[in-house]
Amino acid sequence: MSTTFWVWLGIAIYIAVGLAIAMMARRQLGAGVSEFFLANRKVGGFVSALTYSATTYSAFMMIGLAGLTYINGVGALGFELTYLCGMFMMVFFLPRFWLVGRKYGYISPMELLNDRYQSKGVGATAAILALVFLVPYGAVQLMGIGYLMNGVSQGAIPVVAGIIIAVFCAIAWSNIAGMRSVAWTDAFQALIMIGTSAAVLGVVVAALGGFGSFFSKLESAVPGLLVVPTAKGAWSINMFIGLALPWLFFLISNPQVSQRLFIPKSVTAMKQMLGGFLIFGFIYTMISVLWGFSATLLVPGLEKADLATPTLLTLPIIPMGLAIIVMIGITAAAISTIDSILLTLSSVWARDIHKGLINPKVSEAGELRVGQWVIPIMAIIAFVFAWWAAGKTGLAFMIAPLSSAASAGLLMAVPTIFGAFFWKRATAAGAMVSCIVGAIVVLLFQVTGWKPLGWWPGTWGFIVCAILFVGVSLATKPPREKAEEFIGYLKEKLAEGKFI
Amino acid sequence: MSKTGWAWTWFGFLLALDIAIPWFVLTHVKKMSGAFLFWTIWVVLAIISAFVIFLKWKEARQ
Repeated sequence: MSTTFWVWLGIAIYIAVGLAIAMMARRQLGAGVSEFFLANRKVGGFVSALTYSATTYSAFMMIGLAGLTYINGVGALGFELTYLCGMFMMVFFLPRFWLVGRKYGYISPMELLNDRYQSKGVGATAAILALVFLVPYGAVQLMGIGYLMNGVSQGAIPVVAGIIIAVFCAIAWSNIAGMRSVAWTDAFQALIMIGTSAAVLGVVVAALGGFGSFFSKLESAVPGLLVVPTAKGAWSINMFIGLALPWLFFLISNPQVSQRLFIPKSVTAMKQMLGGFLIFGFIYTMISVLWGFSATLLVPGLEKADLATPTLLTLPIIPMGLAIIVMIGITAAAISTIDSILLTLSSVWARDIHKGLINPKVSEAGELRVGQWVIPIMAIIAFVFAWWAAGKTGLAFMIAPLSSAASAGLLMAVPTIFGAFFWKRATAAGAMVSCIVGAIVVLLFQVTGWKPLGWWPGTWGFIVCAILFVGVSLATKPPREKAEEFIGYLKEKLAEGKFI
Repeated sequence: MSKTGWAWTWFGFLLALDIAIPWFVLTHVKKMSGAFLFWTIWVVLAIISAFVIFLKWKEARQ
């Protein structure tokens, strides 16, 4: 039987198992918005860690990051590990989000901002940022799946077919039981992701003669890729900061991950979530980068770096069965991210835009219905973007830079989030002006390709945004009573739980 | 300085190393024992620091 048959069979089994898990999750689904969007804040540590990992790590890793390593070398490792180092900030933000989420019943991070700043405009602004910038990020996942299925089936499965399959799974798994089905399928997918990628890396490294031989070959074949900046000029400090800065604050700027800070059922579950994620992230990053390096040795000279993984998987040293399993692992990585994005965007739309601005009197059932309708609509928008971007070439349309560009827009909410937790003087006007102007700067610089002083759009946007946040806040009146109550509550509870 | 202050300072120090060592110290070391090894050890240090802090957390009354 042909490779294409086995690829389709693998996809069919993956979808069937995923659907079965989602349906099992549905049996435990209770009523209400908190239940649908947050699994009633009762997720255990193991599932919390895996859903956080699967949501964070996506097709970006084994395709985008591997491609970036393939073409630009070791700086890709530094870039991705800077994100993981940024997770150190979880020791500040995880307990804070978790505590106020329980006390005030927040469903989305935007609702937290609304309440803290006593202004619906702040949450709406952050919600629009998320809606605008998460679409390209979601689309990137779809592109990754399209490239992968196309590559592994050696062109038999068109890129667009892979994208359609991913859209179907993401809609189904986020709609069947909300956070419960997403978290459970994420846990299943996280295990597939790390297991399959470790297995295939092992096969490739063995074919290269083991780690010692692999590293020696890298040092002799591509020494210029083992330093920053590279021999070809990639990874200037400006490029590194431009790509890494949005990643550094990913844990609070991306609502699909910060919303997960509300879900652990206890402090123990929180600790397991954070510890489990840090270990998962370290292992998965090392695997992805070493995989990219192995591609530089085994399939050099590819025109499109994002094709390094699909091309490597078609080499005879990798058994076809393993290649298909790995393809499913990467597909799982992508779908587990996009379904989380869809679920978060639907909660943001339902709670912060529909209930917050359009129809404040909507019932809980009505709010939930709106959220469930938003899921397929956002999926279709991401699909159209992915289809368009998949036909383009160049650095800006590679998976890694495109992902980072999307996060650069979301970065504009970071000063507002810091202010909510750490600065009583912060104001709604400061938050809104900084988010809006910062996002406009990022979009303008992205579209025009303008990089004054060589600094990337995210860097400029962040500087403008931070200055405006502080300046406008100092010039306007803060919600003193709420700030005192919110930060005062945290101070008391943080001390009680030995948090810092 | 408070524990929170120390933790932010430590984090800032780690970020300074993130740029300083690969670009200014190891920029000519074209080996896996250069930037690759540095970033690996550096992030392990960051992870261990996070563990040291969060393992002390205890259940708080709601």
